[in-house]
Amino acid sequence: MIRTLVAVALGGAIGTALRLALDLALPHGGGDFPVSTLLINIVGAFTLGALTGSLWKRETTPAWLKAGLGPGLLGSFTTLSAVAVSAVAMTDAGAAPLAAIYVIVTVVAGFAAALIGLRLGGRSGATS
Amino acid sequence: MAGVVLAVVLGGVVGALARFGLSQRFPAKAGRLAPGILIANVVGSAIGGAVLGLAERAALSDEWSLIILTGFCGGLTTFSTWSVDTVELALGKHWRAALANLVVTLALAVGTAAVAYLLTR
Repeated sequence: MIRTLVAVALGGAIGTALRLALDLALPHGGGDFPVSTLLINIVGAFTLGALTGSLWKRETTPAWLKAGLGPGLLGSFTTLSAVAVSAVAMTDAGAAPLAAIYVIVTVVAGFAAALIGLRLGGRSGATS
Repeated sequence: MAGVVLAVVLGGVVGALARFGLSQRFPAKAGRLAPGILIANVVGSAIGGAVLGLAERAALSDEWSLIILTGFCGGLTTFSTWSVDTVELALGKHWRAALANLVVTLALAVGTAAVAYLLTR
């Protein structure tokens, strides 16, 4: 259990640092379209899907590694709060249509990425 | 700057551990949405909305906004788990749970963020 918590904490540190780095590399104002967050969520959803369809299904994969990569790294790398806060900030800046487009694009592209990741990872449709 | 980056990362670690704890305490039953992840996403979005409001009237510094919003809230909430969970529910033909996870999470996350922002600005 301690090993799992350490893995989640370490993954959380790496995921947060990567997201911060991308935010700094592709900065956006409060009312702007947040390209960095969109990319982060698409990449994170695809990667978790791919891992869920492959590495997760192997009997030999230790629980701490799953926790460190899934809830730890990818869980912290991706974010829903930034999506919600950006949508509110864009609406407040008078760009409600853009906010709606941002949320819809995030959900459609992110869920498609998760599906493609699951398929490529080897999952054929059965759920666990 | 280095101190702020460290604090943001530390905030992310605390958020990630809190989310992991919630997901263990409130796990998903088979074919149902994950209550722990829903709680983490909604609470994190609400706190994020409050940070936006407080920052707007300069009640919160840029540094603290970054530490709480990008650090803690970013670590607490997750898009990857939410999207993969929802797609897996749909692939398993649990249409109602998949739709509920999509709509309820989105409505509560954006809704509570908006309300928290309006209350705190």
